[in-house]
Amino acid sequence: MTNGLLKDIRIIVFLIAIFASLIAIAIYPPPPEGKNTNLKFGLDLEGGSWLQLKLIGSIVQIDVDRDKIIAYQFSELLNDSIDITNSELNSISFTTTSPHSKDEIKKFANSLGYTTNTVSQKGNLKNVTLYELNSDEIIRSYLEKRLSAEVKPIRWNNRPAYEIRSNITKEKLINILEPVGGRIKHDSKGNLLFEERVTKETLDSTKDILSDKLNVLGLKEIPIRTVGSEYILIDLAGVDITTAESIVSKPGKFEIRIQTEKNETAHVLYGDNIERVGIPLQDNEGVWGVGFTLNKEGAKKLRDAAIKYGAVDNPELHELSMYLDNRLVYSAPLAPELAKNIKKVPVTDMVARTGTGEEGRARAKELQIHLSAGALPVQVEVIGSGQVSAALGAMFREQTAIAGILALLAVSLVVYLRYHQKKILLPMLFTSLSEVVMILGFASIIGWQLDLPSIAGIIAVIGTGIDHLVIITDEVLYEGRLPPTRIYLSRISKAFAIIFAAATTTIIAMSPLLIMGFGVLKGFAIIAIVGVLIGVFIARPAYGRVIKEVLSEK
Amino acid sequence: MVSIDLKKHIESYVAKYTIKQLIVIPLVVLLIASSVLLWTYVNTGSPAKLGVDFKGGTIITINTQDTPEFLKAKFSEYNIIGAREWGNRKMLQFENTTRDKYSELLDKVKKEYGEDVEIKHMSEIVSVSAQKQAIKAVLIAFIGMAVVVFLIFRTIVPSIAIVLSAFSDIVIAMAFMNIVGIKLTFGTVAALLMLIGYSVDSDILLTNRLLKRKGPIKEKIIKAMETGLTMTMTTLAALSVLFIVSTYSYMVSEFSRIDILTDISVVLIFGLTADLMNTWALNAGILRLYMEKKQQKRRNKT
Repeated sequence: MTNGLLKDIRIIVFLIAIFASLIAIAIYPPPPEGKNTNLKFGLDLEGGSWLQLKLIGSIVQIDVDRDKIIAYQFSELLNDSIDITNSELNSISFTTTSPHSKDEIKKFANSLGYTTNTVSQKGNLKNVTLYELNSDEIIRSYLEKRLSAEVKPIRWNNRPAYEIRSNITKEKLINILEPVGGRIKHDSKGNLLFEERVTKETLDSTKDILSDKLNVLGLKEIPIRTVGSEYILIDLAGVDITTAESIVSKPGKFEIRIQTEKNETAHVLYGDNIERVGIPLQDNEGVWGVGFTLNKEGAKKLRDAAIKYGAVDNPELHELSMYLDNRLVYSAPLAPELAKNIKKVPVTDMVARTGTGEEGRARAKELQIHLSAGALPVQVEVIGSGQVSAALGAMFREQTAIAGILALLAVSLVVYLRYHQKKILLPMLFTSLSEVVMILGFASIIGWQLDLPSIAGIIAVIGTGIDHLVIITDEVLYEGRLPPTRIYLSRISKAFAIIFAAATTTIIAMSPLLIMGFGVLKGFAIIAIVGVLIGVFIARPAYGRVIKEVLSEK
Repeated sequence: MVSIDLKKHIESYVAKYTIKQLIVIPLVVLLIASSVLLWTYVNTGSPAKLGVDFKGGTIITINTQDTPEFLKAKFSEYNIIGAREWGNRKMLQFENTTRDKYSELLDKVKKEYGEDVEIKHMSEIVSVSAQKQAIKAVLIAFIGMAVVVFLIFRTIVPSIAIVLSAFSDIVIAMAFMNIVGIKLTFGTVAALLMLIGYSVDSDILLTNRLLKRKGPIKEKIIKAMETGLTMTMTTLAALSVLFIVSTYSYMVSEFSRIDILTDISVVLIFGLTADLMNTWALNAGILRLYMEKKQQKRRNKT
């Protein structure tokens, strides 16, 4: 009897699956120190906190005329009207009656970034021609300056668009587009092409940077998931929530900007251009400061900006300001020697001075923290959070394990009441148990973190599993006793037809949870689906084979 | 040992009721359940009351002897909307406030109640988009299930019967949620989706046996019910255990309540109980009607 059984492919597959699972759970790879198994547990079952972050930014498609932007920019600077005489793809000519000298106008053009220009005069009229124009860049840089935010050109639905990396409302955008006759584009249904989210690339790169940050702080293997295209979900096992929030919100968006005109500033560089940050030190005159070193790229950016916006000649009028998460944390002009030096070569070593006395020292310490903050491409806002203490987590583990065992017992009771035969009950129980073992084995292999929803999924699998075993048993016993072998096989396939249909509907029902973002319920869906697949392809075929053997020995 | 003669009870059930009774009674129940949902929708803007996951807010559970009244007064400046006993612990529920107030609240809770706190916080932004996603998920799952059913059986009336039965299960389960006061949370949404998968199992079994096997209709139904009832009973047994352990075990042990498991088990228990009626009365009744009409057509042709 048993030889036939062990040669059957279904039984062989089944036994291999069970052994592989048991090995994966407890034996190989060897469990980490202090733990008995390779099972990983999520927050609910181990304690820790979770954070849901929203990335702050918007994407928008804009309709605006480059010429109108240029006209607006110059008329503001010159305080006079502009008449456009010629407009081409890469150049534009206009005249103005402004009393400013030719050199002044040339300087204005440079400061606006139109460095290839000619200015001529005929009587009262000044004729200005700008060359080497890049329309997209003109639009982008106009937006950037007016919104005081980083604006990145992107493609959205295969059209050119912009990602604005700051908290900009639709209204504010419309306000700065109005003076230049621009507007937000509409789609074919009439909806404004303005969405408060960032691009997938930005989302992914923020996720990567956060991951690095957390690793650096000694927190390894932090699951960081993206939920849809808007949110990031971080599970910090073993960390309490206030620490979690401060760790995550500390890598702020650090930016150095330079004052261009009165209240406007332009972007110079981000925190990722800062190579090293020193400790707060006092100089000979008792002034506190924090030294920092820019990398080569950063030094060049700083020099270019200083020259372009006139800080080298006029440091007082063009202060450098430092922003953390768009909040001004420091502002000071270039020191006179620095201004002189930077004119000649890029400078990498800088000192930010914060003043004297206790206040100066405190501010220096604060500035040190800010400078050290890594650069996230966008700001993040914590919009969801939770915490489970470790003690509570351990208790949940125990509680759910007991629930699982009791559930199996209750199910066995019902099965016994129906069939009154230990011969049927024992294989059913064993098959059910083995399905659970295989799911846990699968979880161990892929390193899945089991959380409360996953446990609910496992209990659901026990339920469906037994259901299907009942279908098989009843199909085989359709006439009240075991049929001869050939009829037996056809019965089994009939049973499996029903089982496949039922399994497919379960998988379809759980699939939306996989793709949609609740984040939290993904575990539940994965376990339910994997459980059904393991059951249908491995456990139940084996049961079908075994039950025949068991029933045929009288 | 009490032995239940399942077969006898089933046989008398099948013999007793007419087709009309089998179909009409479940439909009436469905109607009542739908009106409960409609009533809730008109009153609150959604067919089921929304929990924190979908409405936004904060829930904190702590281990303390302080009474709920005391706690409510203590945290009154933080927009607290409820404090109650929760197993061996106390549960506090807050509406959303400003970021700073929320940090203050967390600090205060930490300071006074130590590390043994459980916190869940959802802002409105997430909650609104979560609501939309939940609706989408249930719709997609339901439609997907209906498509699979049609593909399997390829006949209209039986497929519609199955889909109707599953639909009724969900509506009745949600109506019970409203009556008993269970709120819509991630857990209950997961349960509703599972219900879509589970409830169809018994209907598929019934339809398969009736359409694809030979024999007198009533005989086939009786046999199908034997299997189907066993299936539903085993699942109900497992769920009842889950419900008891996650909701009442605190009374006899150090364990606490586990809301997400309570939610999932209760919704499924309601749904599967409704499924008993919807599969073996409504679906069975429709199928009997359908097959008898088919038999008549054949007789009329010959």
